[in-house]
Amino acid sequence: MTEEVLKDEKTPKYDPSILPDMLPAYYKRLFPHKPFYRWLSYGLSEANIFANREFSYTLHDDIYIRYRCYDTQSELENDICSTCPHKIDIGAVMNTKPKNFRTTSTAMQPVQRELVFDIDMDDYNDVRTCCTGSTVCLKCWKFMALAARLLDAALREDFGFEHILWVFSGRRGVHGWVCDHDARHLDSRGRSSVAEYLQISSNVTVNGAVVARVQIGERMHHSIRRALKFIEPLFEEIVLEDQNLFGDVNGVNKLLAMIPDDMARKDVEAYLKKTNSDGSNSRTVWTSFVRYVNSLRTGAASIWTRKLKNIIEEIQLGILYPRLDINVTKGMNHLLKSPFCIHPGTGKVCVPFNCNVAAKFDPTTVPTISQLLQEINAFDDKSKSKENGEEEKSRIKDYKKTGMFKGVVVFEEFLRKLESSLKTKAIDISDQTMEF
Amino acid sequence: MDFRRKSRARTVRKPEFENLEIQYPHNVALYRMPPTEDIKIHEFEELALERLKVLRIFEQASSKSLRFLSDEWKEFVNAELSREGLKGYLRLCTNSSANPSTDNTKYEHELQARRRDYISHFILRLAYCRTEELKRWFVTREMELFKYKFSSMSSADIKHFLELNKLEYSPLSEAQKDSVKDGLYESTVGQSISKIELLDFYKVHFTQVLDLVRSRRCYLNGGFAYVNTHDFVSIIAVLQLNEIEHGLQSAQKLIREVEADERIFHLLKSLHTSYTGKDYALSKQGNVPPESLDQLSKKSFPICMRNCHEYLRSNHHLKHGGRMQYGLFLKGIGVSLEDSLRFFREEFTKKIDAEQFAKRYEYNIYHNYGKKGSMISYTPYSCLKIIQENPVQDDCRGCPYKTSDTSALKVKLASYGLSSTHVQEVINYVTKGHYQLACGKYFQIMHESPVELGVHHPNQYFEESQNLMGNRTAKKAANISQRKPLKRGASDNSKTLDADEDDELWNIAETQESTYNSQQAEKSAWDEDLDLTAIDC
Repeated sequence: MTEEVLKDEKTPKYDPSILPDMLPAYYKRLFPHKPFYRWLSYGLSEANIFANREFSYTLHDDIYIRYRCYDTQSELENDICSTCPHKIDIGAVMNTKPKNFRTTSTAMQPVQRELVFDIDMDDYNDVRTCCTGSTVCLKCWKFMALAARLLDAALREDFGFEHILWVFSGRRGVHGWVCDHDARHLDSRGRSSVAEYLQISSNVTVNGAVVARVQIGERMHHSIRRALKFIEPLFEEIVLEDQNLFGDVNGVNKLLAMIPDDMARKDVEAYLKKTNSDGSNSRTVWTSFVRYVNSLRTGAASIWTRKLKNIIEEIQLGILYPRLDINVTKGMNHLLKSPFCIHPGTGKVCVPFNCNVAAKFDPTTVPTISQLLQEINAFDDKSKSKENGEEEKSRIKDYKKTGMFKGVVVFEEFLRKLESSLKTKAIDISDQTMEF
Repeated sequence: MDFRRKSRARTVRKPEFENLEIQYPHNVALYRMPPTEDIKIHEFEELALERLKVLRIFEQASSKSLRFLSDEWKEFVNAELSREGLKGYLRLCTNSSANPSTDNTKYEHELQARRRDYISHFILRLAYCRTEELKRWFVTREMELFKYKFSSMSSADIKHFLELNKLEYSPLSEAQKDSVKDGLYESTVGQSISKIELLDFYKVHFTQVLDLVRSRRCYLNGGFAYVNTHDFVSIIAVLQLNEIEHGLQSAQKLIREVEADERIFHLLKSLHTSYTGKDYALSKQGNVPPESLDQLSKKSFPICMRNCHEYLRSNHHLKHGGRMQYGLFLKGIGVSLEDSLRFFREEFTKKIDAEQFAKRYEYNIYHNYGKKGSMISYTPYSCLKIIQENPVQDDCRGCPYKTSDTSALKVKLASYGLSSTHVQEVINYVTKGHYQLACGKYFQIMHESPVELGVHHPNQYFEESQNLMGNRTAKKAANISQRKPLKRGASDNSKTLDADEDDELWNIAETQESTYNSQQAEKSAWDEDLDLTAIDC
């Protein structure tokens, strides 16, 4: 721990160059090893469920090591503390111990693995104006919050999944981990189907730009109807106000590009120009657009009553519906960053958040490793002075003394529900087999 | 003793008949248990080739981008099945079932068809279990066949099928259906609301209908999908898919034992690339003089052959593989032996002297026309065979869509006069590995025709091209035809046949010759130096 970090009473700035010096303390005192183990051991409900899990580490200088596996919590904890990886990835549970992959007679294959989702703000760059590149603010975070809530509802209602962990990915995205037994045992065809079910837009190129296009078709599928229930109330706030997406000529062109018919597009363009709505502000542009479409789609038979019948809804979905990285979900073996890692770029902890109140989660105030260590030290100093210089063996886990606390609480709540359901299942099974 | 009352008019049934009925009780089978009867080796081969033809038809239908099970798709498949004489399969697929009590012989044919279908499936498993690519091809085609058959079944048939295969699926009760009816109306794609009221719905775990889930075609709730009878095929399809994949894996483990038998080994190994289409060994009309080849190559040759022609013209040489590929193609389009000799001699002697040509290359050309050596007139290479070739530098053969790198191909296509949009259209297929589709696109562009040709043979390309340009007139109008006589060693006499009177004779003779040729080709396939049908699996 360098002196410079401790100097400031204010929030210390994260300096990536000293990350390697901070990680040892982080892993020793802050990383929640026991809950982490409780999660991945799943109550040891299946044989070798923990021992055959693959972990991979990214070390300094981007050195990458795979096929790590452990038999117990302390093995895992000790290895993490001694290796101090810059990033930990969680892989699948294999049919053999991952470290033995070269020596097994049969090919090593994944047996189970959480169903995972990755949503990155980068994929929304065409529809956000508040930030660019790797920055994120409360305004554009709303896209993420909406995406997480929507997916969460779909996974629970349509697929019957219950144990879903949503994690902030450290910079500008979210990961979703579905940990139900059935989800873990889905094969790649199953994952691919779920992913495609949840992916309703396709990217088309219009005049050199990529546009996310949605087609609703004759009847609106219930999942799309539900998605609209989430999206419609927020469209004005997010797209028209916060992002002011149609507030200039470029923006209006973006709106026009979302109309999948050349003639119709020209008509709308002309109408918007005529009513002086182009380039004024998003709200007036949108209101004009909606007025125009509504008058036509309830009128005489035309493209507006057929192909473009649902164009307003399709545009709203195209902008706000979750944009998943479908390849992450499809692969059973895809190594995904573990919760509670430190993001090397921002220094922030990949902390779980409660999806139901996702809108209240603030990515800009997620603590960095520098902050956390400072908080710990401050706490230590305080307790030392209280106890007359004797170091009291703290019975409160360190991570509960810091800004990380909320994230850990969310995690533990998730674990509680998971373990309770595993117990119920175990009881059911033993009831059936009449074993004591 | 079977005492039959004379008053009852009972149809006489052979005992094997009853046996067949028990063994093959339904048009649609899941192929769970391998057949146990003995069959002769030639029936083994026959059944295999027959099924292969069927599967190839499905492949062609999909390469024509017809929507699976649409009316156009069914029309095409049915037409091809009857054209190729695959009536048994046609009936199985369209469920034009015969009532056993009224039409005995028809019913017997149907049982036979079921038997052939059943056994041939297992034979093909042996041929297609070797590599991942073969397995995938086989599984895709078999699933198309299965879904087609299944979709033609009536609800009574479906019920019978479920019983036979001990599948426990029962439809929702009225009350159950009522509780989810909004979801059903909203989310069941492909059925009108009135139909939804009438149809039976089944509640199954979503993992059983992944196809429906992925395309959002059904109501999904709490992990369960609500599926109507029409989509029920998806569920059973999964069972069939698993069955076949499992079967292929088992076959793969046992294949070595099976291959111990030489006869079976040879057949299985060459099956996938064996050519089951039209035999272009003979060209029917018009002598094509070598002088017209320059023009023809630009208008009616696919680029593999145009390449060879241009290479030959500029380098005055072709290596063995190229000579085989191009020489046989020329034979197929109607270049006579003398003309072929003349053509090659003219080119080659620009670099070497006539004596060398006679010594080194003439024999080969005679050989191709069946005039020397094994006296077999070889069949020109199909696309499949050509695509499989791996030419090296300076070896002008193989499929240019595959062997040329994209930039060289772009330059070449542009030099043939294609606009950059057109070049891109062709390249799009090439980059995805769809060489034959790229060729079909080239055909479409060159002929400015809406016809999307499913190219499977260079000579077919040529023929279609000539047809389109009105040069190849119908058989009736032909007044000169070049025929190679059936007898070995007989010299070539061009006969002038009056088209009207001898059409039938012509057909008979041609069928005989093509069967003879393909048999010979099959036998000679294992010649060390002229291996036409061997492939590396």
